[in-house]
Amino acid sequence: MTDLRLTSGDTKPPLGGWLPGVRLTEAQAAVLNAVADELIPGGDGFPAPSEIDVISFIARYVAPAGTPARWFPFLGENDLRARLDALGDGFVNGGSLARVRVMEGLERDESEFFVRVRDLVYHAYYSRPEVVRAMNRNLPAGRDYRPTPQPYGYSDVMDDWDDELLSRVRGTYTRTEDVRRVMVPADLPVGPARKLRGEGS
Amino acid sequence: MAAYTETDVLVIGAGAGGGAMSKRLSDGGLKVVCLEQGDWVHAMDHPHMYDGWEIERKRTWSFEPNVRQFPEDYPTTGNTTPYIFTGVGGSTLHYAAAWPRFKPVDFRKGTEHGVEGTIDWPISYEELEPFYAINDAEIGVARRTGDPGNPVRPEGWGPASRGGKVGHKMGSGFDKLGWHWWPADNAILTRTKDARLACNDCGFCLAGCPRHSIASTDVSYWPAALRNGVDLRVNARVEQINAKNGRATGATYVDRVTGRRHEVRAGAVVVAANSIGTPRLLLMSAQNGHPDGLANSNGLVGTHLMFHSWSFVDFWFDEPLEGFKGPEPAVLYSQEFYDTDTSRGFVNGFSLQVGTALGAATSALGTNTGNLAPWGAGHRGFFDDHFGRHALIYVQGEDLPVRTNRVTLDPDAKDSSGLPAPHINYGLHENDRRLVEWGQHRAREAADAAGGVIDTTTTGIGGIDAPPPGWHIMGTCRMGNTAEDSVTNKWNQTWDVPNLFITDASSLTTGAAVNPTSTLQAVAVRAAEYIKRRHRDIASQTITPSNADAPAL
Repeated sequence: MTDLRLTSGDTKPPLGGWLPGVRLTEAQAAVLNAVADELIPGGDGFPAPSEIDVISFIARYVAPAGTPARWFPFLGENDLRARLDALGDGFVNGGSLARVRVMEGLERDESEFFVRVRDLVYHAYYSRPEVVRAMNRNLPAGRDYRPTPQPYGYSDVMDDWDDELLSRVRGTYTRTEDVRRVMVPADLPVGPARKLRGEGS
Repeated sequence: MAAYTETDVLVIGAGAGGGAMSKRLSDGGLKVVCLEQGDWVHAMDHPHMYDGWEIERKRTWSFEPNVRQFPEDYPTTGNTTPYIFTGVGGSTLHYAAAWPRFKPVDFRKGTEHGVEGTIDWPISYEELEPFYAINDAEIGVARRTGDPGNPVRPEGWGPASRGGKVGHKMGSGFDKLGWHWWPADNAILTRTKDARLACNDCGFCLAGCPRHSIASTDVSYWPAALRNGVDLRVNARVEQINAKNGRATGATYVDRVTGRRHEVRAGAVVVAANSIGTPRLLLMSAQNGHPDGLANSNGLVGTHLMFHSWSFVDFWFDEPLEGFKGPEPAVLYSQEFYDTDTSRGFVNGFSLQVGTALGAATSALGTNTGNLAPWGAGHRGFFDDHFGRHALIYVQGEDLPVRTNRVTLDPDAKDSSGLPAPHINYGLHENDRRLVEWGQHRAREAADAAGGVIDTTTTGIGGIDAPPPGWHIMGTCRMGNTAEDSVTNKWNQTWDVPNLFITDASSLTTGAAVNPTSTLQAVAVRAAEYIKRRHRDIASQTITPSNADAPAL
């Protein structure tokens, strides 16, 4: 059993993220939702991130104030709040084209921060049950996909091997007694100790 | 009361080699203490039932200790990061559990070409085969017998893991080309064994297994070892192996919880701390009579590091393949190009191993090769075209054992106990670079034969970042033929210290072109059997016997 004395505090990031999660202000949440909606626009049978509460996931994976952002996605509460505040109402109310331009600027000029946010939003969005249901409905390759690997797994919908295909497999291997010296390619650079040309060792 | 513990055998490391060793020794009635610097991992410590299961692979279940930064991990420095896990089970806690065996030719690469530091193993495939079989039975291998590309292997505990649509698709491609292929052997239960459940094809293997279907040694070997009475001490970080008059006397460790030091004295010491940790510990154990580290009078400890040479090639097809189902790392393999053919411009060969992907987030974030779904208007179309239509081909090449590829001690970096971090230097040899480049083209051929490729990306030559990632860490204390060419004799007994044994992947003489754990555990089982039967001889030895003079098993 894991020794809690070794896993408490900031020695390990908690599995599943920090609870209860960073509580953003309404204004900060609106900015983050607007960013997420531009990263992964809804449509074609898929919801927009803002419709499915990606923020509840994101909030658990932002390191709370006082905890160093040592682990992926390397976003700390204070820094994130400050950046969302800086974008502010202007970003939310500026229209999609303007928001995209701002985000392109972030991607270009503050790529490390942008990538962290983008990756976290992708993780959050594709973890949501509503998105998994959309994949089940809309993607032939996602018909059987489940939100988590366990507890159900996929044995109930997993194809087995094709015996007829396997019956045609051919192959061979070199027996111990059949191993022979080869001629090493002449142009192969090798260390000074050994440059062999097929002579016995 | 003595200030130390006395035992017959001290084992350092509770991973693949240490677990197998401890269980086998204790089967024979030997008294064993095992020291492990990590702790137990509970079934609920795995992320498989969390909505953040994919993001956790980048945090709590990152492959890299430098990313996890757990207190039980030690940092590494140098030009590449090895993939190591610390805990009871060691790196088997996050391994692929792919279970191929080395082939007979792999034990004779010195005879075949002898390039760079390549030497023959001191044993043959035939000598190791009985121990492969013992180990297969212990871990409960999933296997389909009949592979014509390998020597006959015994029936598995259960049938091969199911191949799913990925298996059928890629098997059809190899079939069209007339190339060898076969369903992968896996150390994953396909039939319940003891308290371990059969795999339910959940598709998320590389963060351990809460069902205990995957044979990490915490669930395969340790329950029986503990029933045998092995004294397993967790959070026990060894700072030095002690020696006196040419023999190992035991080790001193720090209890990471209390900070106190303890000593264990033993008739024999077995080091199984992985191919980075073992040379690190031997080098840290420099002392009177062993100024350059223990077992290092010839300077070979830490050298000849091997990682395999890699390229990951992702392919996306025009039909659903549902790669989120079934064993993630190894569905099937082709060994069509396993043997050396120097007309290709290099020695050695490679396996083409077919794997799958994870879930939706991983697909959006580029799968294995950075093929990222764009943000904005193009996101939906890209994701919908790529998700669940993917297969991965690993080009897994045999890399040469090069002396300058090595582990040393970092003079500055320390772990949380103040012990020196290992420094790793690895460069891909030109031979191995050629091999991987050639292999990438064969991977593309196979995918094209399968038909319907709509997109492909690759890590290039050398892995995600060159040099290649340290999935398989091997060779840094290799067994060999003489005290000049190796660190141990053919019974894993160090040449310098007769009662000091090394039984992890660092003892592998060459790395073959397959996943190494089944081989390193077979070697550990063989060495355990030797120690069990010959411990009285070992107790009286003042010098390590040559391979010819060593008492037989």
